[in-house]
Amino acid sequence: MTALPATSEAGGARVPMGASLKPLLRLVVPAVFLVGAYAFMGPEQFVNALTRGAIYALIALGYTMVYGIIELINFAHGDMFMMGAFVSLTFLGQILGLTGSITDIARLAPLLVAAFFVSMIVMGAIGVTIERLAYKPLRGAPRLAPLITAIGVSFILQNIVMLKYGPFQTNSPKIFPSFDIVIGSAKIPALSVFIIVVALSMMVALQLFISRTRLGRAMRSTAADRDAAQLMGVNINRTIAITFLIGAALAGAAGVVNGLQYGVSRFDDGFQAGLKAFTAAVLGGIGNTVGAALGGFIIGFIEVGATVMGFSRWGPAIVFGVLVIVLVFRPSGLLGQQLGERA
Amino acid sequence: MKLARVGAALAAAAIVVSACGGSGGSKTITIGISLPLSGSDLASAGPARDGALLALKDFTLAGYTIKTLILDHAVNGIHDPQQGSKDMTTLVSDATVVGVVGPFNSSIAKVQIPISNEAGLLQCSPANTNPDLTKGDAGKQLRAKAPDKINYIRVATTDDIQGPAVAQYGINKLSLKNVAIIDDTETYGKGIADAFAAEWTKLGGTVVGREGAPKGTTDYTAILTKFAAAKPDAVFYGGVTSTGGGLVRKQMDQAGLGAAAYLGGDGIQDGNGATDGAFINIAGAAAANSFSSVAAIHDIPGAADFAAKYKAEYKVDPGSYSASGYACAQIIIAAVKAAAAKGDVTREAVRAAGTNTATKFDTILGSVSFDAVGDSSQKIISMYKVDMTAAGGKGDWIFDFQVDYK
Repeated sequence: MTALPATSEAGGARVPMGASLKPLLRLVVPAVFLVGAYAFMGPEQFVNALTRGAIYALIALGYTMVYGIIELINFAHGDMFMMGAFVSLTFLGQILGLTGSITDIARLAPLLVAAFFVSMIVMGAIGVTIERLAYKPLRGAPRLAPLITAIGVSFILQNIVMLKYGPFQTNSPKIFPSFDIVIGSAKIPALSVFIIVVALSMMVALQLFISRTRLGRAMRSTAADRDAAQLMGVNINRTIAITFLIGAALAGAAGVVNGLQYGVSRFDDGFQAGLKAFTAAVLGGIGNTVGAALGGFIIGFIEVGATVMGFSRWGPAIVFGVLVIVLVFRPSGLLGQQLGERA
Repeated sequence: MKLARVGAALAAAAIVVSACGGSGGSKTITIGISLPLSGSDLASAGPARDGALLALKDFTLAGYTIKTLILDHAVNGIHDPQQGSKDMTTLVSDATVVGVVGPFNSSIAKVQIPISNEAGLLQCSPANTNPDLTKGDAGKQLRAKAPDKINYIRVATTDDIQGPAVAQYGINKLSLKNVAIIDDTETYGKGIADAFAAEWTKLGGTVVGREGAPKGTTDYTAILTKFAAAKPDAVFYGGVTSTGGGLVRKQMDQAGLGAAAYLGGDGIQDGNGATDGAFINIAGAAAANSFSSVAAIHDIPGAADFAAKYKAEYKVDPGSYSASGYACAQIIIAAVKAAAAKGDVTREAVRAAGTNTATKFDTILGSVSFDAVGDSSQKIISMYKVDMTAAGGKGDWIFDFQVDYK
């Protein structure tokens, strides 16, 4: 993270770097950062940072995809994450009646798959519905209109959950058994490994989807130039709807992960998490999916790093301080702002 | 957030309850209740409100109509200083208000005291424990508008007694040695954690870690992993359940601190495992081996009578601060009666009567008087521990013993 600005040209995110240097830097800089962080934090805190970062990254993807395609900062997205957590706890805790951990893998695996499936489908549907009802009618309106609408949607979602579940922390069944994977003297919670693997797989799948499929290409072309894409026969409405669907489904997945990890959800969890994830998206370069994932992990590392150094009280201040510094030197974020052009 | 705030304000404004109007009713006087009454804070502050209402229920005064005005300053289910100051402004600008029961949290008192002090409105908190609200330069600063007119009194004792009391409990009774401390960075939380830490070191214990995380934090794993490396046999939490008290306990197991004891002040002492948003409810099975204090007397004189009366009214047992809420209302009633005996019940007459250092108030907590800054003469701390077999297997706080620090 610290090495990045030094090796990049100031300001011009869209200016292509030397073709031969770039792929190398993209590998070397993160590798140096990860090794450094591992040596500094030790394995347990390193995994804590990755776990926290993975959740931020999953949420940040939704922010960045929506911004990339319709240039809307969807302030309701943090609340989609929160709702995802509530869908998951309703499904596992209230419909299936689970409370504790399940040690039988043959039972656990299908339950986990079902939890992700239900939460992602439900949230995807809610995401598309919100887009259809709240944002689509404003597509031609000045940019401020959908932005304010998004803030309104955020309040509506929070209040729906508050009325349904009450304004306090609600328990989410921690069905994933609590056991550690021992590597040398380090004890790594298996749940953390599971979360990191799930999140990374989803991110890779998203990248493949955007770069390899017809729909992904439609998304990229819509992001690049909506009118031209439409003239070339891309169904703009469907493409935007799919963007919201995927973003909201990822938020739903993040919600499930959050419930498994922390075991508690509150109707305003989306505010803090959304703010951090939005910061992650801006840090990485809003509109850029790889950047959002990168930004999420960076914030995870900054927060955990601050705690390791004894600045736990200053965690949020340090996160936003870093954001300010990065934006001063690279106004369009670490990786610049394109949706999937190079993804 | 804004929506909920407007909603809360409207709802609060609607709850203007008339408490048995007096005979004739020539002059209306109002007694305000300013507490956080929704969300996680309801579990602890609700019983204080109910206690106060119970005392006010049968209060009549010839020539006066007595009214009660309840304002909830929990926004989105958590005590909110902005709303707390707004509510106090509402109360002082209503000329009929002569006394207020509340607030519950020290961070709210910090913003309310300057307003009520300027207006000379008697305010009695059932639960505030931060020393800086009354004592020393910090206390003087809050009373800068009318320094010679003390208007804020409290029946709970202060954290410079409560924090050390928990430390003594941990070291002397529970034989703990190494503690890691985390606070919620609020007025109450950081204050009690500091007082606890100082006493813990004084008694020969070791503080192996000290961290802070503001309300809204969901992930404590990094802090707890750091603690775990120092191998503490206890974790002290300075703060209340709604700012993270239950979450920390819940996440300790994952970080390898499942066997460590959990200590806290009155902030985590709220209701049993069946109460939504209460510490034991959130922490679940992990709540076992947790200990807390309450800055109030547990063995109140006439406890059985009070419990019976309370149960007859509300169908539940009194909470930790029910008697304190009741006592605050009793003190305000006594002050109103004293003012009436001298002539007219004015705001100033009630304030003067309620803060008179020579007066001994006969309350449900026993005989209570207030010193020159409004702190109670009663300095008793009660200790509780979690018993997971109580409350039908859902767990509850069980009274252990109380200590008088007079």
